[in-house]
Amino acid sequence: MTGRKVLMDFAVTPDSHTLAAYRARGGYEALARALKTMQPEDVTQEIVDSGIQGRGGAAFPAGRKWQGIDPHDGQPHYLIANADEGEPGTFKDRWVLEHDPHALLESMLLGSYALGVRHAFVYIRGEYDQPWRRLDAAVEEAYAEGLFGENILGSGFSCDLFVFRGAGAYVCGEASSLLGSIEGTRAWPRNRPPRMTVRGLYQAPTVVNNVETIASVAWIIRNGAQAFREIGTEKSPGTRLISISGHIRYPGVYEVELGYSWSKFLHEDCGGLLCNKALKAVIPGGISSQVMTGMDAKVLTPGEVEGMTLDHEVLRAAGSSLGSGGMIVIAEGTCMVRLLQIMLRFYRHESCGQCTPCREGTGWMHRIIDRIVAGEGRPEDIGTLYHIARFNDGTTICGLGDAAGYAAIAMLDNFRDEFDYYIEHGNSKFGGNLECR
Amino acid sequence: MPVIFINGEAVDTGEHGTVLQAALANGFYVPHFCWHPELSVVGNCRVCLVEQEGRGVGIACNMPVVDGMRIETDTETVRAQRKAMLQFILLNHPVDCGICDKAGECALQDYHYAYNGEPALSREPKQKGTKFYPLSSRILLDNERCILCSRCVRFTREVSKSNVLGIEYRGDSALVRPAEDRTLDDDPYSDNVIDICPVGALLSRSFLHQARVWYLEPTPSVCPRCARGCNVQLWHRKPEWRLKGLDPAQNTRILRVTPLENPRVNGPWICNRGRDLGEILERPRAQQALLKGAGVTMMEAIEATRALIAASTRKVALVSSWASNEELRAFRSALGDNFTSFVKADQLPEEGEVVEDEFLIRADKNPNTRGAQALFGSDVPEIPEDADLVLVWGEGVDFARLPRGAKIVLLGSWLLPEVGHADVFIPLSIQTERRGHYTNFEGVVSAFEPCQSRPEGVIDAETLFPLLAAPGAWGRG
Repeated sequence: MTGRKVLMDFAVTPDSHTLAAYRARGGYEALARALKTMQPEDVTQEIVDSGIQGRGGAAFPAGRKWQGIDPHDGQPHYLIANADEGEPGTFKDRWVLEHDPHALLESMLLGSYALGVRHAFVYIRGEYDQPWRRLDAAVEEAYAEGLFGENILGSGFSCDLFVFRGAGAYVCGEASSLLGSIEGTRAWPRNRPPRMTVRGLYQAPTVVNNVETIASVAWIIRNGAQAFREIGTEKSPGTRLISISGHIRYPGVYEVELGYSWSKFLHEDCGGLLCNKALKAVIPGGISSQVMTGMDAKVLTPGEVEGMTLDHEVLRAAGSSLGSGGMIVIAEGTCMVRLLQIMLRFYRHESCGQCTPCREGTGWMHRIIDRIVAGEGRPEDIGTLYHIARFNDGTTICGLGDAAGYAAIAMLDNFRDEFDYYIEHGNSKFGGNLECR
Repeated sequence: MPVIFINGEAVDTGEHGTVLQAALANGFYVPHFCWHPELSVVGNCRVCLVEQEGRGVGIACNMPVVDGMRIETDTETVRAQRKAMLQFILLNHPVDCGICDKAGECALQDYHYAYNGEPALSREPKQKGTKFYPLSSRILLDNERCILCSRCVRFTREVSKSNVLGIEYRGDSALVRPAEDRTLDDDPYSDNVIDICPVGALLSRSFLHQARVWYLEPTPSVCPRCARGCNVQLWHRKPEWRLKGLDPAQNTRILRVTPLENPRVNGPWICNRGRDLGEILERPRAQQALLKGAGVTMMEAIEATRALIAASTRKVALVSSWASNEELRAFRSALGDNFTSFVKADQLPEEGEVVEDEFLIRADKNPNTRGAQALFGSDVPEIPEDADLVLVWGEGVDFARLPRGAKIVLLGSWLLPEVGHADVFIPLSIQTERRGHYTNFEGVVSAFEPCQSRPEGVIDAETLFPLLAAPGAWGRG
């Protein structure tokens, strides 16, 4: 087992996602108690004390984000749950939406109470059909029982929830871009300053949290910040939902206590690699986090992955991150050149076209890698890829441009020989293989 | 006022909220494509990079001024990043400066020479885009040259408010396009997007391939087509570049009209009507003085007018609202006592044109109504039936409505049917042939300068009026 649980603490049955089942697990008790006994600031303080970090990718302390909003400043505020889970390899929020939608809804209510929010939103990606059906049904159930709307549970607190379906752009997962999508404008990321907690949706202070982050709020209020802190490590409290895919025997969504051994997770909980191959690399948190190498045949000591624990600090120290929790496992014998081609095609397709370096740079990198894969690579291509990646980093409004560059740099740094081989011979060292045979 | 340090020099930022504005206002040039003083900040070109001590490189256009901050505009990091940005911008740009109307006044060209100057790093084929996409009957769009700075899109949203333009698709396939079922013909200010385009993506059909801009020079002038009196620049060939091989009309023609920034009148914008001054200034000119339709010399026409003035008792003048303040004063001091004067409208709104809006266009289609009314009152022209001499100055008078017995003296510039019906006709010069001032409807006075020479046979109104009043002056002059 992968440690203690916060979200996956019940058995999934055909009706475990319903309101009745959620209530049977103690659902909405935290809400009732908070509305009766806690001030909005107390709820925020509880979240600050819990030390929970954002689960969407940047791992920013969620409590600090909430403290950016004064619930009594007389302005309208908005709370948005970001369910536009577009990062390749990431499908963890889907589990929450499908199996525990009421945990999200209760947490949204607690968050709305804490931040003085009258209208809250869930921005769900358009491709998520089943999750949307489940969420929509849950919202209807909650409205029918007076958990949303005017004067919730007789407390005088009112809140309405809107479920907004996206139209399938990766960039809408970027919080400020998502605001544009809701407002009905072109979903382009916005410049900071101003921060969204100063001027966000409809120019009002706005908090955008990842689904997993916000869904943990109900648990924290129910059990207390101290109980949450006891899970995980000191600096990374709590658990992470990890959606693991790739060359792994049991892919799926796992809840992992932060600080859990990575090697144990891969080889025991997930059943090890397909075809009993050796580990070549892991993309730990969606393709926008940096690739980590596994057991490298040329290095006798265990590679970076082995012996490492899963938490934000350790990965950050290693130059990567748990990102969005979308772990992709790559077995020995995979062609990294073709893998990078797929990644760069994605970034080119999803670049919104706003900032010059990302708009032009992602297309440029994709054309170069396409040419290399077609067997027409030139030795100077590697240098050009580095150049593009370097100047994409930090020069754009949002992180998409940076991430495309990171992907290229990580692959080139770690698997330079494969690229050199492909350029020199005009074909792949591993037969262009992406599957595990 | 916050004080910041740019390249080590203390700068009082005054009213400026961002580092870019403060830098530009204090003589530190920071290159920029997407930023425009009249439009919102989008920060998408990423060229206005500066380095803030302790914070690294950021875009100056969205960097709020903080007291005591230290900004460097020309460090090695900034130079390297700027260079890289220009490489990105030029990646899919066709670099067809040789056939581009913008060459010579193109920001991309200038910045390339100033901040990059290196051959392309890329060996990839360029992305193809649409050439000559018609945005309206006036404007063409070249998507290959477009750098997607979104200035034109923001202009139609924030300034002209027609909301015609938007951006379609994503990434390096993104295109500027009009909204569904709309064209820029809906926007009476559309041509401003040609001026604010930092590259040659938006092209004026009327100026397309007409001239290289370095052969042209602008003359400051005032648009006469409504009471706003927008300040404009009339572009024509430089005198040293007038070519014998060219048709003489080409050598002196006004090739394009652009706004001349004046915050008190029009800001940096003008309407499309103002760009079409040729419609009105290039009409056939009258160059021959006439007596009842028969050609005479200028002196004979002046003598005849003097005789009519002396012989008549009830004299009425219809004063032109297209006359400059100088001409109006000359008329009043020379002949004002002899005539009962009314200010008339020379031009009325035409069918299909925007009569008036909340931005620039005014319903009064004459440039100097206010200046004329200051001297001659604002009474509606009412010509008494017993008037025996009517002096008509300019256009817009129906002779059939004048008293039957009255003699008519017409002063005008254009070859209109009326010139043959007047008892005396004297041809006058036009705005582009003399200097003067107009007073706009808000009382702001703007000057215009000559850029064409007077054709033979015409006279300036300012010269004419003293001659009509003082016998003998003509012979001595």
